[in-house]
Amino acid sequence: MTRKIEDIFNNCLERMFKGESVEDCLGAYPEQSPELESLLQASCALAKRASAIEPGPEFKAQVHQRLQAMLYAEQKKLAERAGIPVWCRRWALATTAVLGFLLIGIGTVGAAASTLPDETLYPVKLATEQVTLTLAFSDMDKAKIHIQYAERRADEMVQMARQGKSDKITMLTGQITSHLDRIPVMEEEQEASEGRVKAKAPHAATAPAPPSEAEAYSKGTEVDELKVALIQSRAENLNALRNALDKAPEKLKPVLQQAIENMEEDYNNTIIIIESGSNK
Amino acid sequence: MFIEKDVVSRAIKGDGEAFAQLYERYFDGIYRYIYIRLRNQSEAEDLTQEVFVKALEAIGCYKERNLPFAAWLFRIAHNLVIDYFRKQGKVEKVPLEDDMILVSKSNPALAAERELEIEELINHVEKLSPAQREVISLRFGAELSVAEAAKVLGKNEGTVKALQYNGIVALRKMLVADK
Repeated sequence: MTRKIEDIFNNCLERMFKGESVEDCLGAYPEQSPELESLLQASCALAKRASAIEPGPEFKAQVHQRLQAMLYAEQKKLAERAGIPVWCRRWALATTAVLGFLLIGIGTVGAAASTLPDETLYPVKLATEQVTLTLAFSDMDKAKIHIQYAERRADEMVQMARQGKSDKITMLTGQITSHLDRIPVMEEEQEASEGRVKAKAPHAATAPAPPSEAEAYSKGTEVDELKVALIQSRAENLNALRNALDKAPEKLKPVLQQAIENMEEDYNNTIIIIESGSNK
Repeated sequence: MFIEKDVVSRAIKGDGEAFAQLYERYFDGIYRYIYIRLRNQSEAEDLTQEVFVKALEAIGCYKERNLPFAAWLFRIAHNLVIDYFRKQGKVEKVPLEDDMILVSKSNPALAAERELEIEELINHVEKLSPAQREVISLRFGAELSVAEAAKVLGKNEGTVKALQYNGIVALRKMLVADK
């Protein structure tokens, strides 16, 4: 008998969780109704109170971002573990992409250009961007392309905010960070490769020679150009996202606010690193 | 449409977006379950974060045939709660925080009323036996089915139903005594 009432009570609970009223459930078990009524009412009160316990949206967004960062780091590690030389990876990627263009057709790539992160062709857009980066002639060109892509991600973020898609906003924040992070790294790579070339020269001194006035001027001009581009890009992106924040639903605001803060910090850090590099 | 099996399969293969969908689906439930057990907001937040970090680290090894995903995830939470009490050298009875912030402050009057209700709920749940408390947290906090709760706890469904029934009977008595 005891077992039976436990089963009946659980059946009623399941029905209530699906939206039926206490009365409906009691109607199905008239014999047990006197015993069940107060228990089901207590369960209702319990469920109502428990559902009021909710995590803060800022905390939720913070954990989401930490997980995104972990995923990004893991993917990076896997790529490194593959152990394929960078130039090889680039050429493999470029070849695959060229074949992709031929197979899929320029039309698909064209159509993908305006897609958003929640659309099927979005990976094609990202792959096309990767190819453009791979085929860029100089590191300066690549840096400019990274800035351009950071702006694209911010535009997409505005669209995602309009559609209320918080998970995409977090994902796009990670991508903006990734684009901006690559800019100083490329500067370092360029310096390192210049150092290697100098060391290999037949009459080079052990220590790399200081840059000539013309080289220093040229480098200084490029850094200035990059800095101006970053400052403009930061201003445009922040402006667009702050406008989106004003119009965003309350639920989305903490995620968007966090994304704006992260992006501003990423831009500021990139600018500082580039400035400090040019002062060496 | 959210088809959990597909999403879980993709997450196992390292698809970040799929993991994000699982996160969205289970985050609130995990937090509620831990909060009811710990009764401390900041520690509940730390542990909730740890559950998802551990899940992300271990999802590549997860095998669906052994345990449904919800049960697997809540078992991580359950084990972390047990570890928490073990490390603290505490039994599951700690004083309620005076400055608990549980619910949205957008409507202060409503928020205050809800906080009182939640405080009362947690006070009552605390008086249940540990096994009843566990089942009530999983059923009403995490909103798991009896089958899922049974898998998390490693008990059979009949035992879970009995613990649930007896727990609610005890809670009803407490609520009546309040009036």
